[in-house]
Amino acid sequence: MKNPELVGPNRRALLLVIVGIALSLILLRMPLYSFDACVYTKKSPNTFVGDEKYQNVRAEVEGVAEEYRAQGFACEIGEEVLERVNSKGETTSLITFTVTERLAKSPLSLLGMGFASSWVLGLMLALLGLALVCALAGSVGGMDLVHFRLDKRRAFLRGAAAAALLAALLLVPVFILMNNYAFSRQIGLYTQGLLDAGKDAMYAKMDRLLFEGRMGDGIEKALGGLRAGHSGLLWMLVPAMLLSLLAAVQLRHGSIRSSALKAALYFFVVVVCVITLYPYYVMTITAFRSNAETLDMYFLHLFPTKWIWSNLADIIHRGVPRYLLNSLLVAGGATVLAMLCGIPAAYAMARMSFKGKKAFLGFVIMSQMFSPVVLLIGISQLMNTLHLNDSVLGLMLINAAFNQAFAIWLLRGTFVSISPEMEQAALIDGCGTVGALTRVLIPMAAPGIVTALIFVFINAWNEYTIATVLISTAANRPITVGITQFSSFNMIEWQYLFAASLVATIPVVILFMSIEKHLTSGLTSGGVKG
Amino acid sequence: MNSPLNRHKWEPYVWLLPSILLIAVFVVFPILIVFKLSFSEISKAGVIGGYIGFQNYKDAVSLPAFKTVMLNTFWWVLSVVGISTLLGFIIALVFNQKFHGRKIARAILVFPWATSLVIQASVWNYIIKYEYGSLNSVLLNLGIIKQAINWRSSYQIEFIWECGVGIFVTVPFVAFCVLSGLQSIDGSLYEAATVDGAGFWSKLFRITLPMVRPSLTVSTVLNIIYVFNSFPIVYTMTKGAPANKTDTMITYLYMLSFYERRKGPATALSVIGFLILCACAGIYMVTVMRKEEEQ
Repeated sequence: MKNPELVGPNRRALLLVIVGIALSLILLRMPLYSFDACVYTKKSPNTFVGDEKYQNVRAEVEGVAEEYRAQGFACEIGEEVLERVNSKGETTSLITFTVTERLAKSPLSLLGMGFASSWVLGLMLALLGLALVCALAGSVGGMDLVHFRLDKRRAFLRGAAAAALLAALLLVPVFILMNNYAFSRQIGLYTQGLLDAGKDAMYAKMDRLLFEGRMGDGIEKALGGLRAGHSGLLWMLVPAMLLSLLAAVQLRHGSIRSSALKAALYFFVVVVCVITLYPYYVMTITAFRSNAETLDMYFLHLFPTKWIWSNLADIIHRGVPRYLLNSLLVAGGATVLAMLCGIPAAYAMARMSFKGKKAFLGFVIMSQMFSPVVLLIGISQLMNTLHLNDSVLGLMLINAAFNQAFAIWLLRGTFVSISPEMEQAALIDGCGTVGALTRVLIPMAAPGIVTALIFVFINAWNEYTIATVLISTAANRPITVGITQFSSFNMIEWQYLFAASLVATIPVVILFMSIEKHLTSGLTSGGVKG
Repeated sequence: MNSPLNRHKWEPYVWLLPSILLIAVFVVFPILIVFKLSFSEISKAGVIGGYIGFQNYKDAVSLPAFKTVMLNTFWWVLSVVGISTLLGFIIALVFNQKFHGRKIARAILVFPWATSLVIQASVWNYIIKYEYGSLNSVLLNLGIIKQAINWRSSYQIEFIWECGVGIFVTVPFVAFCVLSGLQSIDGSLYEAATVDGAGFWSKLFRITLPMVRPSLTVSTVLNIIYVFNSFPIVYTMTKGAPANKTDTMITYLYMLSFYERRKGPATALSVIGFLILCACAGIYMVTVMRKEEEQ
């Protein structure tokens, strides 16, 4: 279906793609990065403002500045007066003259300079170019096609343009972050002697970027007082590329309204995912840092400067395997016990009618209401009486009991949803009730049972409060309590804390993801069906 | 139901017995112990004396921190449950749409639900550290702030952070509950509404909300209970400091009984907390039962 009315909107969308890309390029060409580099310092002691020595030094400094100006750099002379009364009661004065070069660089000038961000910039430019080519190639000769009538090649090209623009857009904050880190932090670390690796290479790159390589050995001094910053205008790259992106999406999918909604949808999803993953990212990278690095903000960067894999080996010697084993025993034992007690109960609830069924249901719901925390004192008293405090077995029993309600809940829901006919047939064939349950119902209800099983396991694995109260011997601690040994009042060994946390978290998160789908339906249906 | 499974009158009770035993010994028995202790004299060393009436309750109510702690608990439950229900609902609405990578996004959303609270609280503790926290570092490197910000400059702000972490860990649960409710809605309802000219908002209020209300009720009631009972977040982040100003009831009663060794008032507080939970449970039961009658 050819539709001449579509030529207008399509042409406008293509134009907007081009305009957005052009705007981005213009922004990248603008001198948005400013560097204040101190190129010359002269300290003049026993000098007072206005006296003869002052005049001489001042003239000398101005000469230097003039030299720089002659080379085409904007220079400023600064002076700082430090007056002090010495032990003899005389006033002395120290005047520091500085010649500061104010340099403005465009983001584009970083290209090919060898900085980490140069590569990002290169990639960004390549993506923009690719988007432009794809958008043009996908439109030529197809301006009058409605979006769902596009042939495969054009649809792919327009989609690729949108994808490339999205990728370029996502690179913008990465680029800005990398530059800020490099110019404002990394160089400071080098000049203050806090960091050594890669120092000379970095100095050479900066010399090339700022002074066209003419500083040579003086570069360290020049970078000493470097103040770098970027204009807020740099962030305008985001709306510029967003404009292109939206237009590209319109080109591919039709109306701008729906594509804007779609963009908002993806934006929301990405924001939610980024916020959700942020703590896990922090946990992961901190687990592989050195202790000094975890405690210094200025060392922090996207990744550890050096991956310390030995942190993992270190926690092995700090009892972590033992704690993991305890957790496994507690959670595994609690799960088995909760299932052994829960499956028959759920079976009776689902398949049999008897007096007091409602009362039992109420009993189960009520017991679901109480986390063991509010009953801590009672529980510790009970465990004392049973001689089970400070034991893995005691912890296992408590976890089984407090997860009983939920297990019955989930299992009953699963059993109810399975037709009883098969079991009845099995009974008629001479199977006992137990046989009907184990041979017929349990295999059929396997997904629901696995869900309940994993859920109880995870709950018990993650339990912390009861364990802190009941367990006093280090060897009996589960992992949730075990990790707290890395954070004492005066020193927190974050790298070990998070390495152990990481080991404790990964398996449960994977388990949980496997049951997510079944769990939610079980949760609510169990609750609603009562 | 009269199935051939019912061969003996007593048979169902045999099936229930293990479960009843387990719950009775490890859930009901501690409840009774706490009730009994709350009316008994308990020395600092933990020796249990005779009946002293309501003395423990009087002591508990007259504790200097009692009012603060109760207020904190109220705000803690209200803000965490309220805001996470709202956010969870919105997230569920969005995640129910069709988009590329929906499976991945949902898998990511599971993370906070599956992770131990101690671990999450520790990570957030690290993130908001003033001197070397990750949040300051990221913002500095992005150039959004020029100087490190002290994220925990006062106990009120620390308490807000605790609520924030509480919300962070609670949202996924709500979102998944609502999602399961949303999936059960018949798509033809929306089509019919669209034909009738209903807009986004009227569809939201006339179809979506009534249909997911059962899921929302369940998740809200369960959340009230979970959040009320939540211990690790507050304990890990501030330990109730300074002077119990950020304590909730649960952390306070832990401190009271296991640090300050004042088991008497602590048991009284336990009973008060227990009764509050009972009230919530009662409301929940009534709603569930009523729904059953409606069906």
